[in-house]
Amino acid sequence: MIGNDLVDLYCASIESNWKRKGFLDKLFTTSEKTQIRSGENPFLLVWKYWTMKEAAYKIYSRMTGIRSFAPVKLCCTLGEHTFGTVQIDDLKFYTCTEMTENYIHTIAGLQSDQLAKIRIEIIHYSGELPAYASKNPACVSHHGHYLALVY
Amino acid sequence: MPNENLINRLKAIVSTYAQNKEALNSINEETDFINDLKINSANLVDVILDVEEEFDIVIDNDAMEKMLTVKASIAVIEAKLSEK
Repeated sequence: MIGNDLVDLYCASIESNWKRKGFLDKLFTTSEKTQIRSGENPFLLVWKYWTMKEAAYKIYSRMTGIRSFAPVKLCCTLGEHTFGTVQIDDLKFYTCTEMTENYIHTIAGLQSDQLAKIRIEIIHYSGELPAYASKNPACVSHHGHYLALVY
Repeated sequence: MPNENLINRLKAIVSTYAQNKEALNSINEETDFINDLKINSANLVDVILDVEEEFDIVIDNDAMEKMLTVKASIAVIEAKLSEK
């Protein structure tokens, strides 16, 4: 089982205000907030952590059947390079994040060696969301003008 | 409709973030913020913060977990209001 999540950075800058009072407290753990506030680019780290949490949550909710909005329970740790982990309860997810000028995309799996096997397709579009059902992806994320499919 | 006043105040909040305006027009207790209104999950936190401001309540993480539907949100708002 794999998960993914994409944030269109232009849209994120318009649709959300991470500096809003209470925003960081509702979404991030103490350790994540410390990293965000002390980092060079808080905006990018906010959305990197967010995609890690969402990618892991998509697997978690499918595995357990639980739907909830509990981002603080998904604890992110940054690893080497683009890698990281997300822990919730006794489950640990492994993540790999791609950051470009325009978007942040994170893939997640239950085993670290799964990540290299995931095929990623990112489609930039304008207007209607392209049809993707026939491609039969394992997980889908779309935000702004980007559609991310993983297989 | 029960809780009509609460639903209307909640509707005013979610209308900012709802991408499915048709579902917004027919909002009811069963409406799901993500599946029906197509609110981006990153904006759920804004819904929660707006609800805190609008009703002058504090929503703890345990209560926030459940707030994915109108029904669950109304229940949380009513419980927090009654504690005041």
